[in-house]
Amino acid sequence: MKNFYQNFYKTAVAASALTFCCMLPHSGQADPGFSFGNAASGNQACLDCHADMYKVGKKDLISTDMFSHTTHAMFGCKTCHDTISADHPKDGKVARTTTCTNCHSDIAAEYATSRHSQEVSNCNACHNPHNVLKPDEISALAMTATCMNCHNYNRIKATHAQWLPQTDLHLGAITCVTCHTKAKNYIVSVYIARRNVKTDTSSPIIADYSYLSKKIDSQKVQYLVDRNRDNYISIEEIKMFNVNPENKDLYLKAILTPTKTSHAFQISDKSWNCTFCHAAGPSATQVTKLVLPNQDGTFSGFDVEKGTSITSLNAIPNFYMMGSSRNNMVNKVGMLFLAGGLIMPVGHGFIRFLTRRNRRKE
Amino acid sequence: MESKFVYLQPTPVRIWHWLNALGIVTLCISGAQIRFPEFVTICGNYRSAILLHNTAGIVVALSFSFWFFYYKWVSGALTSIYVPKMNELSHPLLRQVFFYFYGYFKGASSPFHATPDSKFNPMQKSAYLAIMFVIVPFVSLSGIALLNIGPIRQILLTVGGLQILVIVHFLLACILGAFLMTHVYLATLGSTPLAYFKPMWTGWEKVEHHHSTEELPETTD
Repeated sequence: MKNFYQNFYKTAVAASALTFCCMLPHSGQADPGFSFGNAASGNQACLDCHADMYKVGKKDLISTDMFSHTTHAMFGCKTCHDTISADHPKDGKVARTTTCTNCHSDIAAEYATSRHSQEVSNCNACHNPHNVLKPDEISALAMTATCMNCHNYNRIKATHAQWLPQTDLHLGAITCVTCHTKAKNYIVSVYIARRNVKTDTSSPIIADYSYLSKKIDSQKVQYLVDRNRDNYISIEEIKMFNVNPENKDLYLKAILTPTKTSHAFQISDKSWNCTFCHAAGPSATQVTKLVLPNQDGTFSGFDVEKGTSITSLNAIPNFYMMGSSRNNMVNKVGMLFLAGGLIMPVGHGFIRFLTRRNRRKE
Repeated sequence: MESKFVYLQPTPVRIWHWLNALGIVTLCISGAQIRFPEFVTICGNYRSAILLHNTAGIVVALSFSFWFFYYKWVSGALTSIYVPKMNELSHPLLRQVFFYFYGYFKGASSPFHATPDSKFNPMQKSAYLAIMFVIVPFVSLSGIALLNIGPIRQILLTVGGLQILVIVHFLLACILGAFLMTHVYLATLGSTPLAYFKPMWTGWEKVEHHHSTEELPETTD
Protein backbone atom coordinates (compact mmCIF):
# COMPACT_ATOMS: atom_id res chain seq x y z
CA MET A 1 0.00 0.00 0.00
CA LYS A 2 2.87 2.28 0.90
CA ASN A 3 4.45 1.65 -2.48
CA PHE A 4 1.19 2.38 -4.14
CA TYR A 5 0.90 5.80 -2.60
CA GLN A 6 4.51 6.52 -3.36
CA ASN A 7 3.86 5.61 -6.95
CA PHE A 8 0.73 7.65 -6.95
CA TYR A 9 2.71 10.57 -5.75
CA LYS A 10 5.11 10.10 -8.63
CA THR A 11 2.17 10.00 -10.96
CA ALA A 12 0.93 13.28 -9.73
CA VAL A 13 4.36 14.72 -10.15
CA ALA A 14 4.42 13.72 -13.77
CA ALA A 15 0.95 15.10 -14.30
CA SER A 16 1.75 18.29 -12.50
CA ALA A 17 4.83 18.89 -14.58
CA LEU A 18 2.57 19.73 -17.45
CA THR A 19 1.11 22.78 -15.77
CA PHE A 20 3.54 23.79 -13.12
CA CYS A 21 4.14 27.23 -14.54
CA CYS A 22 0.57 28.39 -14.33
CA MET A 23 1.40 31.33 -12.14
CA LEU A 24 3.08 33.25 -14.91
CA PRO A 25 1.31 36.43 -16.00
CA HIS A 26 -0.53 36.11 -19.24
CA SER A 27 -0.75 38.49 -22.12
CA GLY A 28 -2.59 36.61 -24.83
CA GLN A 29 -6.23 36.49 -25.88
CA ALA A 30 -8.49 33.58 -24.98
CA ASP A 31 -9.93 31.34 -27.67
CA PRO A 32 -13.56 31.97 -28.58
CA GLY A 33 -15.83 30.35 -26.06
CA PHE A 34 -12.96 29.68 -23.71
CA SER A 35 -13.81 30.27 -20.07
CA PHE A 36 -12.70 28.78 -16.82
CA GLY A 37 -14.93 30.94 -14.65
CA ASN A 38 -13.77 33.35 -11.98
CA ALA A 39 -12.10 30.76 -9.76
CA ALA A 40 -9.80 29.70 -12.53
CA SER A 41 -9.23 32.99 -14.27
CA GLY A 42 -5.53 32.69 -13.58
CA ASN A 43 -5.30 29.68 -15.86
CA GLN A 44 -5.01 31.82 -18.92
CA ALA A 45 -1.74 33.21 -17.67
CA CYS A 46 -0.32 29.68 -17.67
CA LEU A 47 -1.90 28.79 -20.95
CA ASP A 48 -0.30 31.68 -22.70
CA CYS A 49 2.74 29.49 -22.81
CA HIS A 50 1.31 26.02 -22.30
CA ALA A 51 -1.22 26.27 -25.08
CA ASP A 52 1.56 27.14 -27.49
CA MET A 53 3.64 24.20 -28.63
CA TYR A 54 6.41 26.48 -29.88
CA LYS A 55 6.91 27.84 -26.39
CA VAL A 56 6.71 24.69 -24.28
CA GLY A 57 7.03 21.80 -26.70
CA LYS A 58 4.70 18.89 -27.25
CA LYS A 59 5.32 17.31 -23.88
CA ASP A 60 4.02 20.23 -21.85
CA LEU A 61 1.34 21.33 -24.29
CA ILE A 62 -2.19 21.70 -22.97
CA SER A 63 -5.28 21.84 -25.15
CA THR A 64 -7.38 24.73 -23.93
CA ASP A 65 -10.50 23.24 -25.50
CA MET A 66 -10.15 19.99 -23.66
CA PHE A 67 -8.82 21.48 -20.44
CA SER A 68 -11.74 23.89 -20.20
CA HIS A 69 -14.08 20.90 -19.88
CA THR A 70 -12.27 19.32 -16.98
CA THR A 71 -13.26 19.81 -13.40
CA HIS A 72 -9.57 20.43 -12.75
CA ALA A 73 -9.75 23.63 -14.77
CA MET A 74 -12.46 24.96 -12.52
CA PHE A 75 -10.14 24.75 -9.53
CA GLY A 76 -7.43 26.63 -11.29
CA CYS A 77 -3.85 25.62 -12.03
CA LYS A 78 -2.57 26.79 -8.66
CA THR A 79 -4.63 24.30 -6.75
CA CYS A 80 -2.29 21.53 -7.81
CA HIS A 81 0.75 23.58 -8.71
CA ASP A 82 0.82 25.67 -5.57
CA THR A 83 4.54 25.98 -5.08
CA ILE A 84 5.21 27.63 -8.36
CA SER A 85 7.79 30.36 -7.96
CA ALA A 86 8.00 33.75 -9.54
CA ASP A 87 11.14 32.60 -11.30
CA HIS A 88 9.36 29.87 -13.19
CA PRO A 89 10.47 28.47 -15.54
CA LYS A 90 13.95 29.87 -15.10
CA ASP A 91 14.36 28.23 -11.69
CA GLY A 92 13.91 24.81 -13.28
CA LYS A 93 11.88 23.54 -10.37
CA VAL A 94 8.73 21.50 -10.58
CA ALA A 95 5.84 22.93 -8.62
CA ARG A 96 4.06 20.11 -6.89
CA THR A 97 2.59 19.46 -3.51
CA THR A 98 -0.78 18.13 -4.52
CA THR A 99 -1.24 14.59 -5.72
CA CYS A 100 -4.17 12.81 -7.34
CA THR A 101 -4.88 11.04 -4.07
CA ASN A 102 -5.43 14.29 -2.24
CA CYS A 103 -8.77 14.54 -3.95
CA HIS A 104 -9.32 11.04 -5.31
CA SER A 105 -8.47 8.92 -2.30
CA ASP A 106 -11.53 6.70 -2.83
CA ILE A 107 -10.45 5.92 -6.40
CA ALA A 108 -6.88 5.30 -5.26
CA ALA A 109 -8.07 2.82 -2.65
CA GLU A 110 -10.27 1.11 -5.22
CA TYR A 111 -7.47 1.00 -7.78
CA ALA A 112 -5.08 -0.48 -5.23
CA THR A 113 -7.24 -3.62 -5.16
CA SER A 114 -6.85 -4.25 -8.89
CA ARG A 115 -4.08 -6.11 -10.68
CA HIS A 116 -3.41 -3.01 -12.71
CA SER A 117 -2.01 -1.25 -9.66
CA GLN A 118 0.75 -3.85 -9.47
CA GLU A 119 1.78 -3.21 -13.05
CA VAL A 120 0.84 0.41 -13.58
CA SER A 121 0.92 2.67 -10.59
CA ASN A 122 0.96 5.84 -12.58
CA CYS A 123 -2.43 7.54 -12.91
CA ASN A 124 -1.02 9.55 -15.74
CA ALA A 125 -0.48 6.39 -17.77
CA CYS A 126 -4.21 6.43 -18.47
CA HIS A 127 -5.35 9.88 -17.42
CA ASN A 128 -3.92 13.20 -18.43
CA PRO A 129 -5.24 15.58 -15.74
CA HIS A 130 -5.44 18.34 -18.31
CA ASN A 131 -7.88 16.60 -20.56
CA VAL A 132 -9.51 14.06 -18.29
CA LEU A 133 -13.22 14.06 -19.01
CA LYS A 134 -16.28 12.43 -17.54
CA PRO A 135 -17.35 9.10 -19.05
CA ASP A 136 -20.29 10.73 -20.82
CA GLU A 137 -18.05 13.35 -22.39
CA ILE A 138 -15.84 10.96 -24.30
CA SER A 139 -16.71 8.37 -26.88
CA ALA A 140 -16.77 4.70 -26.02
CA LEU A 141 -14.06 4.10 -28.58
CA ALA A 142 -11.84 6.61 -26.82
CA MET A 143 -12.35 4.66 -23.59
CA THR A 144 -11.18 1.50 -25.28
CA ALA A 145 -8.35 3.31 -27.04
CA THR A 146 -6.93 4.15 -23.63
CA CYS A 147 -6.68 0.44 -22.85
CA MET A 148 -5.13 -0.22 -26.25
CA ASN A 149 -2.18 1.96 -25.32
CA CYS A 150 -0.89 -1.04 -23.41
CA HIS A 151 -3.00 -4.00 -24.54
CA ASN A 152 -2.70 -5.54 -27.98
CA TYR A 153 -6.07 -5.97 -29.71
CA ASN A 154 -5.11 -9.18 -31.48
CA ARG A 155 -4.05 -10.79 -28.22
CA ILE A 156 -7.24 -9.58 -26.54
CA LYS A 157 -9.31 -10.98 -29.38
CA ALA A 158 -7.53 -14.33 -29.24
CA THR A 159 -8.06 -14.60 -25.49
CA HIS A 160 -11.74 -13.72 -25.71
CA ALA A 161 -12.29 -15.99 -28.71
CA GLN A 162 -11.64 -18.96 -26.45
CA TRP A 163 -15.07 -18.51 -24.95
CA LEU A 164 -16.79 -15.56 -26.64
CA PRO A 165 -18.47 -16.31 -30.00
CA GLN A 166 -18.53 -13.61 -32.67
CA THR A 167 -15.61 -12.03 -30.85
CA ASP A 168 -15.15 -9.07 -33.17
CA LEU A 169 -18.83 -8.19 -33.03
CA HIS A 170 -18.91 -8.42 -29.26
CA LEU A 171 -15.76 -6.41 -28.73
CA GLY A 172 -17.11 -3.78 -31.09
CA ALA A 173 -20.33 -3.44 -29.14
CA ILE A 174 -18.84 -2.94 -25.71
CA THR A 175 -15.93 -1.14 -24.13
CA CYS A 176 -13.26 -2.90 -22.09
CA VAL A 177 -14.59 -1.29 -18.92
CA THR A 178 -18.11 -2.54 -19.64
CA CYS A 179 -17.02 -5.93 -18.37
CA HIS A 180 -13.73 -5.31 -16.63
CA THR A 181 -15.01 -3.10 -13.89
CA LYS A 182 -17.64 -3.74 -11.33
CA ALA A 183 -19.89 -1.08 -12.76
CA LYS A 184 -23.45 -1.25 -11.49
CA ASN A 185 -25.36 0.58 -14.17
CA TYR A 186 -25.10 0.61 -17.93
CA ILE A 187 -26.57 2.51 -20.79
CA VAL A 188 -26.63 1.91 -24.50
CA SER A 189 -24.69 4.75 -26.06
CA VAL A 190 -25.62 5.23 -29.68
CA TYR A 191 -23.08 6.97 -31.88
CA ILE A 192 -23.16 8.04 -35.48
CA ALA A 193 -20.43 6.09 -37.21
CA ARG A 194 -19.12 6.29 -40.74
CA ARG A 195 -19.77 3.67 -43.35
CA ASN A 196 -18.02 2.96 -46.60
CA VAL A 197 -20.67 3.60 -49.26
CA LYS A 198 -18.86 1.63 -51.96
CA THR A 199 -18.41 -1.57 -49.99
CA ASP A 200 -21.41 -1.15 -47.68
CA THR A 201 -19.26 -2.15 -44.77
CA SER A 202 -19.27 -0.51 -41.41
CA SER A 203 -16.18 0.79 -39.73
CA PRO A 204 -15.56 1.57 -36.10
CA ILE A 205 -14.95 5.23 -36.90
CA ILE A 206 -17.26 7.52 -35.03
CA ALA A 207 -18.10 10.52 -37.19
CA ASP A 208 -16.60 13.70 -35.80
CA TYR A 209 -18.19 17.10 -35.57
CA SER A 210 -16.64 18.53 -38.71
CA TYR A 211 -17.88 15.59 -40.78
CA LEU A 212 -21.42 15.71 -39.43
CA SER A 213 -21.74 19.49 -39.44
CA LYS A 214 -21.25 19.53 -43.23
CA LYS A 215 -24.45 17.55 -43.56
CA ILE A 216 -26.71 20.00 -41.74
CA ASP A 217 -27.39 23.72 -41.91
CA SER A 218 -27.01 24.17 -38.18
CA GLN A 219 -24.31 24.06 -35.56
CA LYS A 220 -26.33 21.43 -33.74
CA VAL A 221 -25.51 18.08 -35.29
CA GLN A 222 -28.26 16.51 -33.20
CA TYR A 223 -30.68 17.82 -35.84
CA LEU A 224 -29.36 15.14 -38.18
CA VAL A 225 -31.47 12.79 -36.10
CA ASP A 226 -33.87 15.19 -34.42
CA ARG A 227 -35.48 16.14 -37.71
CA ASN A 228 -38.36 18.16 -36.25
CA ARG A 229 -35.88 19.98 -34.00
CA ASP A 230 -37.97 19.61 -30.87
CA ASN A 231 -34.96 18.47 -28.82
CA TYR A 232 -36.60 15.10 -28.35
CA ILE A 233 -35.32 12.04 -30.18
CA SER A 234 -38.01 9.50 -30.87
CA ILE A 235 -37.88 5.96 -32.21
CA GLU A 236 -39.50 7.24 -35.39
CA GLU A 237 -36.67 9.73 -35.90
CA ILE A 238 -34.10 6.97 -35.34
CA LYS A 239 -35.86 4.89 -38.00
CA MET A 240 -35.99 7.86 -40.36
CA PHE A 241 -32.27 8.39 -39.90
CA ASN A 242 -31.63 4.79 -40.91
CA VAL A 243 -33.58 4.95 -44.14
CA ASN A 244 -32.67 8.48 -45.18
CA PRO A 245 -30.67 8.19 -48.43
CA GLU A 246 -28.61 11.22 -47.37
CA ASN A 247 -27.20 9.10 -44.55
CA LYS A 248 -25.84 6.34 -46.75
CA ASP A 249 -22.37 7.05 -45.44
CA LEU A 250 -23.48 6.86 -41.82
CA TYR A 251 -24.93 4.29 -39.49
CA LEU A 252 -25.86 4.08 -35.85
CA LYS A 253 -23.42 2.23 -33.69
CA ALA A 254 -24.59 1.11 -30.28
CA ILE A 255 -22.09 0.40 -27.54
CA LEU A 256 -22.89 -0.76 -24.05
CA THR A 257 -21.09 1.55 -21.67
CA PRO A 258 -21.05 1.83 -17.89
CA THR A 259 -22.61 4.95 -16.42
CA LYS A 260 -19.94 5.04 -13.78
CA THR A 261 -16.71 3.12 -14.05
CA SER A 262 -14.92 1.50 -11.20
CA HIS A 263 -11.14 1.48 -10.89
CA ALA A 264 -11.21 -1.99 -9.36
CA PHE A 265 -10.43 -3.52 -12.72
CA GLN A 266 -11.78 -7.02 -12.33
CA ILE A 267 -14.01 -9.18 -14.42
CA SER A 268 -17.55 -8.67 -13.30
CA ASP A 269 -19.43 -11.90 -12.61
CA LYS A 270 -22.21 -10.86 -14.93
CA SER A 271 -19.74 -10.64 -17.80
CA TRP A 272 -19.81 -14.43 -18.07
CA ASN A 273 -23.57 -14.43 -18.18
CA CYS A 274 -24.58 -13.95 -21.81
CA THR A 275 -28.19 -13.38 -20.81
CA PHE A 276 -27.28 -10.21 -18.96
CA CYS A 277 -27.45 -8.58 -22.38
CA HIS A 278 -29.10 -11.27 -24.47
CA ALA A 279 -32.42 -11.34 -22.72
CA ALA A 280 -35.45 -9.22 -23.33
CA GLY A 281 -35.60 -6.19 -21.15
CA PRO A 282 -32.34 -6.28 -19.22
CA SER A 283 -31.87 -2.95 -17.55
CA ALA A 284 -28.71 -2.55 -19.60
CA THR A 285 -30.66 -1.97 -22.78
CA GLN A 286 -33.46 0.14 -21.39
CA VAL A 287 -31.60 3.42 -21.05
CA THR A 288 -30.28 4.87 -24.23
CA LYS A 289 -28.45 8.02 -25.10
CA LEU A 290 -27.63 9.35 -28.50
CA VAL A 291 -24.05 10.54 -28.07
CA LEU A 292 -22.89 13.19 -30.51
CA PRO A 293 -19.61 15.02 -30.98
CA ASN A 294 -19.19 18.65 -30.02
CA GLN A 295 -17.12 21.19 -31.85
CA ASP A 296 -14.41 21.05 -29.17
CA GLY A 297 -13.88 17.30 -29.50
CA THR A 298 -15.94 16.28 -26.50
CA PHE A 299 -19.22 14.39 -26.68
CA SER A 300 -22.69 15.07 -25.30
CA GLY A 301 -25.47 12.62 -24.63
CA PHE A 302 -29.10 13.20 -25.57
CA ASP A 303 -31.92 11.24 -23.96
CA VAL A 304 -33.96 9.26 -26.39
CA GLU A 305 -37.32 7.58 -26.27
CA LYS A 306 -37.44 4.33 -24.32
CA GLY A 307 -37.05 1.36 -26.63
CA THR A 308 -34.81 3.17 -29.04
CA SER A 309 -31.85 1.04 -28.09
CA ILE A 310 -33.38 -2.01 -29.72
CA THR A 311 -34.26 -0.06 -32.84
CA SER A 312 -30.74 1.25 -33.00
CA LEU A 313 -29.22 -2.16 -32.43
CA ASN A 314 -31.35 -3.62 -35.17
CA ALA A 315 -30.05 -1.01 -37.55
CA ILE A 316 -26.40 -1.85 -37.09
CA PRO A 317 -24.91 -3.66 -40.08
CA ASN A 318 -24.24 -7.34 -39.51
CA PHE A 319 -25.58 -7.09 -36.01
CA TYR A 320 -28.54 -8.64 -34.32
CA MET A 321 -28.72 -8.69 -30.59
CA MET A 322 -30.21 -12.10 -30.02
CA GLY A 323 -32.73 -12.49 -27.27
CA SER A 324 -33.09 -8.79 -26.65
CA SER A 325 -35.16 -7.98 -29.68
CA ARG A 326 -38.16 -9.99 -28.76
CA ASN A 327 -41.55 -8.43 -28.78
CA ASN A 328 -44.28 -9.53 -26.38
CA MET A 329 -47.06 -9.23 -28.94
CA VAL A 330 -45.14 -11.42 -31.37
CA ASN A 331 -44.53 -13.90 -28.57
CA LYS A 332 -48.26 -14.14 -27.94
CA VAL A 333 -48.98 -14.75 -31.63
CA GLY A 334 -46.26 -17.40 -31.71
CA MET A 335 -47.70 -19.11 -28.65
CA LEU A 336 -51.11 -19.00 -30.30
CA PHE A 337 -49.70 -20.88 -33.30
CA LEU A 338 -48.15 -23.47 -31.01
CA ALA A 339 -51.42 -23.79 -29.08
CA GLY A 340 -53.10 -24.43 -32.44
CA GLY A 341 -50.70 -27.29 -32.92
CA LEU A 342 -52.01 -28.84 -29.72
CA ILE A 343 -55.61 -28.95 -30.94
CA MET A 344 -55.11 -32.30 -32.65
CA PRO A 345 -53.07 -34.07 -29.96
CA VAL A 346 -55.25 -32.79 -27.13
CA GLY A 347 -58.72 -32.35 -28.65
CA HIS A 348 -58.69 -35.19 -31.14
CA GLY A 349 -56.74 -37.35 -28.71
CA PHE A 350 -59.35 -36.87 -26.02
CA ILE A 351 -62.24 -37.92 -28.27
CA ARG A 352 -60.07 -40.75 -29.57
CA PHE A 353 -59.68 -41.98 -26.02
CA LEU A 354 -63.42 -41.76 -25.37
CA THR A 355 -64.25 -43.67 -28.57
CA ARG A 356 -61.53 -46.30 -28.33
CA ARG A 357 -64.11 -49.12 -28.04
CA ASN A 358 -65.48 -48.34 -31.52
CA ARG A 359 -62.15 -49.20 -33.08
CA ARG A 360 -61.67 -52.34 -31.05
CA LYS A 361 -64.69 -53.86 -32.83
CA GLU A 362 -62.63 -54.26 -35.89
CA MET B 1 -59.94 -57.65 -46.06
CA GLU B 2 -56.46 -58.42 -47.36
CA SER B 3 -53.23 -56.78 -46.40
CA LYS B 4 -49.87 -56.60 -48.05
CA PHE B 5 -46.55 -54.81 -47.58
CA VAL B 6 -45.66 -51.95 -49.85
CA TYR B 7 -42.15 -50.47 -50.10
CA LEU B 8 -43.23 -46.92 -49.43
CA GLN B 9 -40.19 -45.04 -48.15
CA PRO B 10 -36.89 -45.44 -50.05
CA THR B 11 -33.68 -45.27 -48.02
CA PRO B 12 -32.67 -41.71 -49.05
CA VAL B 13 -36.08 -40.45 -48.01
CA ARG B 14 -35.85 -42.18 -44.62
CA ILE B 15 -32.37 -40.81 -43.98
CA TRP B 16 -33.61 -37.37 -44.91
CA HIS B 17 -36.69 -37.69 -42.71
CA TRP B 18 -34.88 -38.66 -39.51
CA LEU B 19 -32.07 -36.21 -40.10
CA ASN B 20 -34.68 -33.54 -40.58
CA ALA B 21 -36.60 -34.66 -37.50
CA LEU B 22 -33.50 -34.54 -35.33
CA GLY B 23 -32.52 -31.18 -36.79
CA ILE B 24 -35.92 -29.58 -36.36
CA VAL B 25 -36.34 -30.79 -32.77
CA THR B 26 -32.86 -29.44 -32.00
CA LEU B 27 -33.76 -26.15 -33.64
CA CYS B 28 -36.99 -25.87 -31.64
CA ILE B 29 -35.24 -26.49 -28.32
CA SER B 30 -32.19 -24.33 -28.95
CA GLY B 31 -34.35 -21.66 -30.56
CA ALA B 32 -36.54 -21.56 -27.47
CA GLN B 33 -33.45 -21.00 -25.33
CA ILE B 34 -32.19 -18.24 -27.61
CA ARG B 35 -35.56 -16.53 -27.54
CA PHE B 36 -36.35 -17.10 -23.88
CA PRO B 37 -32.99 -17.45 -22.14
CA GLU B 38 -34.51 -16.69 -18.75
CA PHE B 39 -36.79 -19.72 -18.89
CA VAL B 40 -35.09 -22.30 -21.11
CA THR B 41 -31.59 -23.54 -20.25
CA ILE B 42 -31.72 -27.06 -21.62
CA CYS B 43 -28.76 -26.55 -23.98
CA GLY B 44 -26.49 -25.38 -21.21
CA ASN B 45 -25.16 -21.89 -21.66
CA TYR B 46 -26.31 -19.38 -24.20
CA ARG B 47 -23.27 -19.87 -26.38
CA SER B 48 -23.97 -23.60 -26.68
CA ALA B 49 -27.56 -22.89 -27.65
CA ILE B 50 -26.43 -20.54 -30.42
CA LEU B 51 -23.81 -22.96 -31.75
CA LEU B 52 -26.31 -25.80 -31.70
CA HIS B 53 -28.99 -23.71 -33.39
CA ASN B 54 -26.66 -22.50 -36.13
CA THR B 55 -25.33 -25.99 -36.79
CA ALA B 56 -28.77 -27.63 -36.78
CA GLY B 57 -30.09 -24.85 -39.02
CA ILE B 58 -27.40 -25.45 -41.62
CA VAL B 59 -27.98 -29.22 -41.43
CA VAL B 60 -31.74 -28.81 -41.95
CA ALA B 61 -31.19 -26.37 -44.82
CA LEU B 62 -28.84 -28.83 -46.50
CA SER B 63 -31.23 -31.67 -45.75
CA PHE B 64 -34.04 -29.72 -47.37
CA SER B 65 -31.89 -29.16 -50.45
CA PHE B 66 -31.12 -32.88 -50.50
CA TRP B 67 -34.85 -33.68 -50.28
CA PHE B 68 -35.71 -31.29 -53.07
CA PHE B 69 -32.88 -32.57 -55.27
CA TYR B 70 -33.87 -36.19 -54.71
CA TYR B 71 -37.57 -35.80 -55.40
CA LYS B 72 -37.21 -33.34 -58.23
CA TRP B 73 -34.36 -34.89 -60.21
CA VAL B 74 -33.76 -38.43 -58.95
CA SER B 75 -37.22 -39.84 -58.35
CA GLY B 76 -39.00 -37.16 -60.40
CA ALA B 77 -42.04 -37.57 -58.21
CA LEU B 78 -42.01 -34.21 -56.45
CA THR B 79 -45.15 -32.88 -58.08
CA SER B 80 -47.16 -36.07 -58.06
CA ILE B 81 -46.41 -36.78 -54.39
CA TYR B 82 -46.55 -33.33 -52.84
CA VAL B 83 -48.79 -31.20 -55.03
CA PRO B 84 -52.51 -32.04 -54.73
CA LYS B 85 -54.43 -32.24 -57.99
CA MET B 86 -57.46 -30.05 -58.43
CA ASN B 87 -59.82 -33.02 -58.24
CA GLU B 88 -58.23 -34.02 -54.92
CA LEU B 89 -59.02 -30.67 -53.34
CA SER B 90 -62.80 -31.16 -53.40
CA HIS B 91 -64.42 -34.48 -52.65
CA PRO B 92 -61.37 -36.57 -51.63
CA LEU B 93 -60.18 -33.81 -49.30
CA LEU B 94 -63.57 -33.49 -47.62
CA ARG B 95 -63.81 -37.25 -47.36
CA GLN B 96 -60.45 -37.38 -45.61
CA VAL B 97 -61.41 -34.55 -43.22
CA PHE B 98 -64.69 -36.33 -42.53
CA PHE B 99 -62.76 -39.50 -41.75
CA TYR B 100 -60.37 -37.88 -39.29
CA PHE B 101 -63.03 -35.91 -37.43
CA TYR B 102 -65.91 -38.39 -37.57
CA GLY B 103 -65.27 -41.73 -39.25
CA TYR B 104 -62.17 -42.48 -37.22
CA PHE B 105 -64.12 -42.13 -33.99
CA LYS B 106 -66.81 -44.46 -35.32
CA GLY B 107 -64.24 -47.10 -36.16
CA ALA B 108 -64.24 -46.64 -39.95
CA SER B 109 -61.17 -47.32 -42.08
CA SER B 110 -59.22 -44.57 -43.80
CA PRO B 111 -60.55 -43.87 -47.30
CA PHE B 112 -56.98 -43.43 -48.53
CA HIS B 113 -54.41 -46.15 -49.09
CA ALA B 114 -50.80 -45.22 -49.70
CA THR B 115 -48.77 -46.35 -52.69
CA PRO B 116 -45.19 -45.45 -53.64
CA ASP B 117 -46.51 -43.01 -56.24
CA SER B 118 -49.24 -41.60 -54.06
CA LYS B 119 -48.03 -41.67 -50.49
CA PHE B 120 -50.11 -38.91 -49.05
CA ASN B 121 -53.82 -38.37 -48.70
CA PRO B 122 -55.24 -35.01 -49.88
CA MET B 123 -55.02 -33.56 -46.35
CA GLN B 124 -51.39 -34.55 -46.03
CA LYS B 125 -50.63 -33.20 -49.49
CA SER B 126 -52.16 -29.84 -48.66
CA ALA B 127 -50.29 -29.63 -45.36
CA TYR B 128 -46.96 -30.75 -46.83
CA LEU B 129 -47.36 -28.37 -49.73
CA ALA B 130 -47.55 -25.45 -47.29
CA ILE B 131 -44.83 -26.80 -45.01
CA MET B 132 -42.28 -27.98 -47.55
CA PHE B 133 -42.78 -25.31 -50.19
CA VAL B 134 -43.48 -22.26 -48.03
CA ILE B 135 -42.70 -22.60 -44.33
CA VAL B 136 -39.45 -24.60 -44.41
CA PRO B 137 -37.86 -22.65 -47.28
CA PHE B 138 -38.71 -19.29 -45.73
CA VAL B 139 -37.70 -20.23 -42.20
CA SER B 140 -34.42 -21.57 -43.61
CA LEU B 141 -33.80 -18.50 -45.74
CA SER B 142 -34.60 -16.12 -42.88
CA GLY B 143 -32.27 -18.12 -40.63
CA ILE B 144 -29.46 -18.02 -43.18
CA ALA B 145 -30.03 -14.30 -43.57
CA LEU B 146 -29.74 -13.87 -39.80
CA LEU B 147 -26.40 -15.61 -39.92
CA ASN B 148 -25.06 -12.90 -42.20
CA ILE B 149 -27.23 -9.85 -42.36
CA GLY B 150 -24.82 -7.56 -44.22
CA PRO B 151 -25.88 -8.06 -47.84
CA ILE B 152 -29.58 -7.44 -47.19
CA ARG B 153 -29.26 -4.77 -44.54
CA GLN B 154 -30.42 -1.90 -46.73
CA ILE B 155 -33.43 -3.86 -47.99
CA LEU B 156 -34.38 -4.75 -44.44
CA LEU B 157 -34.12 -1.21 -43.22
CA THR B 158 -36.54 -0.03 -45.87
CA VAL B 159 -39.13 -2.61 -44.81
CA GLY B 160 -38.91 -1.98 -41.10
CA GLY B 161 -35.54 -3.19 -39.92
CA LEU B 162 -33.87 -6.33 -38.77
CA GLN B 163 -36.61 -6.99 -36.28
CA ILE B 164 -38.98 -7.80 -39.16
CA LEU B 165 -36.68 -10.63 -40.22
CA VAL B 166 -36.50 -11.90 -36.66
CA ILE B 167 -40.29 -11.80 -36.33
CA VAL B 168 -40.75 -13.67 -39.62
CA HIS B 169 -38.22 -16.31 -38.58
CA PHE B 170 -39.81 -16.74 -35.14
CA LEU B 171 -43.42 -16.94 -36.35
CA LEU B 172 -42.59 -19.36 -39.15
CA ALA B 173 -40.70 -21.49 -36.63
CA CYS B 174 -43.79 -21.48 -34.38
CA ILE B 175 -45.95 -22.63 -37.30
CA LEU B 176 -43.42 -25.38 -37.99
CA GLY B 177 -43.51 -26.32 -34.31
CA ALA B 178 -47.31 -26.49 -34.41
CA PHE B 179 -47.15 -28.67 -37.51
CA LEU B 180 -44.62 -30.93 -35.81
CA MET B 181 -47.00 -31.64 -32.92
CA THR B 182 -49.88 -32.37 -35.31
CA HIS B 183 -47.61 -34.45 -37.55
CA VAL B 184 -46.41 -36.66 -34.70
CA TYR B 185 -49.94 -37.10 -33.38
CA LEU B 186 -51.41 -38.01 -36.76
CA ALA B 187 -48.64 -40.58 -37.16
CA THR B 188 -50.13 -42.46 -34.23
CA LEU B 189 -53.51 -42.87 -35.95
CA GLY B 190 -52.60 -46.11 -37.72
CA SER B 191 -53.93 -49.54 -36.85
CA THR B 192 -51.53 -49.41 -33.91
CA PRO B 193 -49.88 -46.26 -32.51
CA LEU B 194 -46.55 -47.25 -34.11
CA ALA B 195 -47.99 -48.53 -37.39
CA TYR B 196 -47.03 -45.39 -39.30
CA PHE B 197 -43.66 -44.97 -37.58
CA LYS B 198 -42.36 -48.37 -38.70
CA PRO B 199 -42.46 -47.66 -42.46
CA MET B 200 -40.41 -44.54 -41.92
CA TRP B 201 -37.81 -46.75 -40.23
CA THR B 202 -37.94 -49.91 -42.39
CA GLY B 203 -39.41 -48.51 -45.59
CA TRP B 204 -42.23 -51.10 -45.72
CA GLU B 205 -45.82 -50.30 -44.85
CA LYS B 206 -48.60 -52.77 -44.25
CA VAL B 207 -51.49 -51.68 -46.44
CA GLU B 208 -54.97 -53.06 -45.93
CA HIS B 209 -56.86 -53.74 -49.13
CA HIS B 210 -60.59 -52.95 -48.90
CA HIS B 211 -62.37 -54.35 -51.95
CA SER B 212 -65.58 -52.81 -50.78
CA THR B 213 -64.38 -49.21 -50.62
CA GLU B 214 -62.03 -48.57 -53.49
CA GLU B 215 -59.48 -50.28 -55.64
CA LEU B 216 -55.84 -49.94 -54.83
CA PRO B 217 -53.76 -48.48 -57.61
CA GLU B 218 -51.19 -50.74 -59.16
CA THR B 219 -48.06 -50.93 -57.07
CA THR B 220 -44.53 -52.02 -57.77
CA ASP B 221 -43.63 -53.59 -54.45
